[in-house]
Amino acid sequence: MAAPDNIVTIRNLSKIYLQGEINVTALDNISLDIAAGEFLALLGPSGSGISTVLHIIAGIDRPTSGECHVQGIDVARLNESQLADWRNQNVGFVFQTFNLIPVLTAFENVELPLLLTRLTRRARRRQVETALELVGLADRAKHLPKQLSGGQEQRVAIARALVTDPALVVADEPTGNLDSHSAQEVLGVLRALSQDAGKTVIMVTHDPKAAAFGSRQIHLEKGELTK
Amino acid sequence: MTLPTFILKNAVRNKRRATLSVLSVAVSLFLLVMLQVALRELTNPIDDEGSSLRIIVRSKVSLAQPLPARQLQTLERIPGVAAVSPFSFFGGLYKGDEKFTSFAQFAIDPQRAQPLIADAKVPPEQLEAWKADRTSCIVGKLTADRYGMKIGDRLQFTGQFYPCDLDLRVAGIYHGTADDRNVMFHQKYLDELLGNPGVVGTWWVRAASIAEAPQVTDRINQAFANTSAEVRAESERAFVLGFVSMWANIKTLISGISIVVVFALILVTVSTMSMAIRERFRELAILKAIGFRRRDLFVLILAESFGLAMLGALVGAGGAWVLFHNININQLTNGLFLVFEVTPQMMGLAFAVAASLGLLAAALPMINVARTSVVQGLKTLD
Ligand SMILES: Nc1ncnc2c1ncn2[C@@H]1O[C@H](COP(=O)(O)OP(=O)(O)O)[C@@H](O)[C@H]1O
Ligand SMILES: [Mg+2]
Repeated sequence: MAAPDNIVTIRNLSKIYLQGEINVTALDNISLDIAAGEFLALLGPSGSGISTVLHIIAGIDRPTSGECHVQGIDVARLNESQLADWRNQNVGFVFQTFNLIPVLTAFENVELPLLLTRLTRRARRRQVETALELVGLADRAKHLPKQLSGGQEQRVAIARALVTDPALVVADEPTGNLDSHSAQEVLGVLRALSQDAGKTVIMVTHDPKAAAFGSRQIHLEKGELTK
Repeated sequence: MTLPTFILKNAVRNKRRATLSVLSVAVSLFLLVMLQVALRELTNPIDDEGSSLRIIVRSKVSLAQPLPARQLQTLERIPGVAAVSPFSFFGGLYKGDEKFTSFAQFAIDPQRAQPLIADAKVPPEQLEAWKADRTSCIVGKLTADRYGMKIGDRLQFTGQFYPCDLDLRVAGIYHGTADDRNVMFHQKYLDELLGNPGVVGTWWVRAASIAEAPQVTDRINQAFANTSAEVRAESERAFVLGFVSMWANIKTLISGISIVVVFALILVTVSTMSMAIRERFRELAILKAIGFRRRDLFVLILAESFGLAMLGALVGAGGAWVLFHNININQLTNGLFLVFEVTPQMMGLAFAVAASLGLLAAALPMINVARTSVVQGLKTLD
C-alpha cells in the first residue's frame, strides 16, 4: 500500500484508446509515487501520454487497467457525481488555454468553484481575495479576462485552482501559451504553491526549461516512464 | 456572485442574440395570440339562454326567398311555440355611412317579438313609444354611440334588396343583448312601403323551453313539408353558425398558420440555443472539471433557455393582452369585429408553448453536455 506521506500512488496504470480498428496505447503499465508537497514536472514530447496521466490523477479520465490512489482513495471507483464533488474539494485545475469565463470578472472567475460549497458570501469573498493575493493580482479583481495579459489570465486561473484550498494542483502545459517572461512568473507562483503553501503540484510540460522549476522531473515517452 | 447571477450573465453574454431570441419568441407568440383571438371572434356565436330558445325559420329554398305571411297562424298553433314574430332583414345603407353600414336593420312585430327581445333593455316609456309609432325604431347602444344617434333623430336607409327606402324615427335605445348594434323596426311599416305583398323575410320563434327547442324545430319543419313554401327551422345558434360556416376555411387557415408559426418558432429557438451552448462547450467542460455535476450544468442550460423563452412570452403574449385590453377593436375595424378578447386560455396556450420551447431548446444541448466527458470537452476548440 501507499507510504503515508505519498499523496498519489500509481500502480501498473494503462490507458488504451480504440481508434477505429487500432489500439492506441497512451499509457503502458506505469507505476509512480508522488510525495505530498512536491512540485512534480511530468516531461515528455507531444503524444507521450503525459496529459493522460494527469487526467487520470485528477479524476477527469479513467484508466483501462491499473490503479491510481489519491490520498488513499481509488479515484476510478467513484461514480460521476462523487467524482465531481471529489474534484471540487481536492483538485485545482490549470490548463494551457486559460479557460476563464469571458463574461465574469477575475474575482467572479475565482469564486466559481466556491459556488458549489456551503460557504457564506463573506467567507467566499475572503477566500477569493486570499487566492488573488497569492498570485499577485489583488488589484485586478474587477477586471474582465479580456482586460488582462496572458500571464495575468493564467495567474487568475491558478487562483481559481487554489481557492477551494485543494491538496492537489494539476497544471497541463500552463506556460504553453505564454511568452518567457510571463512563463517565469507563472512557474514561480506554482513553485511557491508547493514550497510555501505545502500544495502538491503536478505539472505537465514539453519544455525542459519549465520542467526545471519542478522539485522533481519524470520523463515519459510513448506511454512509458524513461527514468 | 451567486448561481442566478451567473445564469443571467451567461444568458445576456451575447446581447444581440439574446435580444433576437426574446423578440422572435415574443413576435411569434403575439401573432399566435392574435390569431387565436381572431379565430374566437369569427367562430364563437352568441351562446346564452335566449339564443338557445330562439329559432329562425327561413325558406328551404334560400335565405333570400321570402315566406308567406299566412304561415303565422300555423306556427302559433305548433306545440312548444311560445312566441312568433316576422323577422325580415332589411340590409339597407345608412344615410351617413353609405360606404359601410356596420349594423343590420330588422323588421319585426314589436308586440309579438316582445319575448324574443326580452334581453334588450329599453326604458319602458321608450318601448311604448316604439310600439305606438309604426315608423319608429329602437337602436342598439353601440350603433347609437357610434353615430351619435339620439331619441327623436330620423334615420334614413336606402334599400338594397328591397325596392324601398326607410325613414325611421329613433324611439328608443337598447342595450344588454349579445350584439347591441341592430336597428329594430315595424314589419307593418315595411309591408306598407312594399304595398302589402303578404310576405316576410324569416320567422323568429321562441320555444317554450330549451329542452323542447329541438322538437319544436322538427315540428316546424314537418308542418310546412310538402307545402308551396317549405321551411328550414334551426336554432339561432345553428343559424349564426351557418353564416359562420363560410368562415370555416378561414378557421382552417388560421389554425394552419398558428401551427406553422409555432413550428418555425421551435426551429429558430432550438437552433439559436444549441448555438449558444455549443460555443461554450469548453467552458462547460471546465465547469465540470472544477466540480459542477451534470445536474448543475442542466440547471444552468435549462434556466437560461427557459428564462429567455418566458421573457419572450411575457413580452409577446403579455403585449397582446395589454394591447387588446386597451384598444377599441369595434372602432378600429369599423364594426367588423365587436370585441377582441384575450382569454386566460389563450394566455395559457402562449405560456405553455413558451415553456415547451424552453424545454425543447435546452434538450439538445443538455444531451450533448451529458455525453461529453471533461477531456473531450477540453479538446473542442473555442
Ligand atoms: N480520445 C482519444 N482517442 C484516441 N487516442 C487518443 C485519445 N486521447 C489521446 N489519445 C492518444 O493518446 C496518446 C497520449 O495522449 P496525451 O496524453 O493527450 O498526449 P500528450 O502527451 O501530448 O499530452 C496520444 O498518442 C494521443 O493521440
Ligand atoms: Mg497534452
